[in-house]
Amino acid sequence: MNWKFSTASELFARLDESGLDLPAYLLARESFYAGKTEMELREEIARRIRVTKAALDRGIREPQVSFSGMTQGGAAKLAHSESWPVEDDLFRRALTYALAINEVNACGGKVVAFPTAGSCGIAPGLLWAYRDARDAALGPDHPRFQDAFIVASAVGMLIAARATLAGAAGGCQAECGAAAAMAAAGLAWLLGEDERGSLDAAALALKNTLGLVCDPIAGLVEVPCTKRNAFMAAEALTAVCLKRAGISSVIPFDEVLGAMKMIGDSMPSTLKESAEGGLAATPTGLSYWEKIK
Amino acid sequence: MTATTTGILDILGPVMIGPSSSHTAGVARIAFLARKIFPYPLLRARVSFYGSLARTYRGHGSDKAALAGLLGILPEDERLGYARELAEREGLAYEIVPVYEGPERYHPNTAVIELWAADESGEKSAERYIRIRGASIGGGEIRLQSIGGFEADLDGSLDALLVLHRDEIGVIAIISHILAANRFNIASAVSHRKDKGDEALLVIEVDGVVPAGIVAQVRELPAVREVVYVPSIRA
Repeated sequence: MNWKFSTASELFARLDESGLDLPAYLLARESFYAGKTEMELREEIARRIRVTKAALDRGIREPQVSFSGMTQGGAAKLAHSESWPVEDDLFRRALTYALAINEVNACGGKVVAFPTAGSCGIAPGLLWAYRDARDAALGPDHPRFQDAFIVASAVGMLIAARATLAGAAGGCQAECGAAAAMAAAGLAWLLGEDERGSLDAAALALKNTLGLVCDPIAGLVEVPCTKRNAFMAAEALTAVCLKRAGISSVIPFDEVLGAMKMIGDSMPSTLKESAEGGLAATPTGLSYWEKIK
Repeated sequence: MTATTTGILDILGPVMIGPSSSHTAGVARIAFLARKIFPYPLLRARVSFYGSLARTYRGHGSDKAALAGLLGILPEDERLGYARELAEREGLAYEIVPVYEGPERYHPNTAVIELWAADESGEKSAERYIRIRGASIGGGEIRLQSIGGFEADLDGSLDALLVLHRDEIGVIAIISHILAANRFNIASAVSHRKDKGDEALLVIEVDGVVPAGIVAQVRELPAVREVVYVPSIRA
């Protein structure tokens, strides 16, 4: 078996050669490299999915308040809001869950970086929202639910190979942008898209966040990060809505990654997680340096 | 472009204490590996943060993460949050140094770990010092790029043997023979020497876990000065 790929087109070639679908191929590959059985790997994936659920529940149940004071139990407010202008249960849960998980992270709780900690609410938030709103049969031990996380991981692997998943190297397009693309691919897979369709949904999402800067106030993973997790869950959902309507990305996934890499490289370091530019450099943003001393 | 070696559990992970995979979990992993490479009773430690880490380590708890790693605590462990108190309880003297103007060639998220070990009498010893430079490259993934003055590229994905030896004919062959005879597959072996005939650092990544007895065989070779066994940081 050939386990080597660095682009989506190479990955598709591997799938065509092997006759496996994307989750089966990646599990077999990981089993080969890590020396673990596919069942052991699935158990570990299930364990990590359960950690995302624990963070989600905690973020809603216990209003998360951070040391800096910038995080003030937003997810708990959303969960109990009676002023939603939108009726859709999936949408409401996606926003609430993504925010809940990321607020737990901001407050130093236990999460799963997916792909990073600052973006850890987006994909699990959206996938759990789909589970709770539309398909209660799914869950950590359900192979299809695990497969959605695996497809999302594949998007992260490809972004890491061609561009980066570090805000310090590529700005927030590489973190929350990447996570939204991963979430879109995972949900598209759950809805029945194949590999190409799922990666096309990822491309739609990723294009919308190219150039997104990483300008965290006082260098904390809080503002704009936590609320951005909610926004990005909505973006990922939008990408899947477009894809399911038959709308495709004009620029293929691999080429979007090339653009992402070029944009990240040309972004000034003041806008790449250095806390020296953007929101971090505003008067209010600067005032938080004093508050956390 | 080289093929990706990243797997599902690298992206869906690590399970970690927040708030930052690169600035918290990655730093803990760098320090954890540094401590494995330098397994002596510590006298003191200095952690220098470069680039983004220098400016933002407080808010990310990178200092706590580094101390946690030095105490053998991995990013998933809730004790990471209390690492400062734990370090004090263990009597670990440390300083955290932000370096705002670092060398251009350093990765934008770099931590340099310097460790000093006590000798038998508990006094400071000139022999027992190491400087390890690690880059946190995103999502908790790391690379140790410099180990004790030798260039390196260790990512902690596999168990590794670090062998400090005299640069002479046959040393690498003998070590690979020992591993092969015990049916261990070498995933990679890279030798870094300071000068011809001088000291060299051999970094061997292996599939599986090499028992202490085999590590001891390597240690007994005449040209070998020191061997440390560094376990994988992957779950």
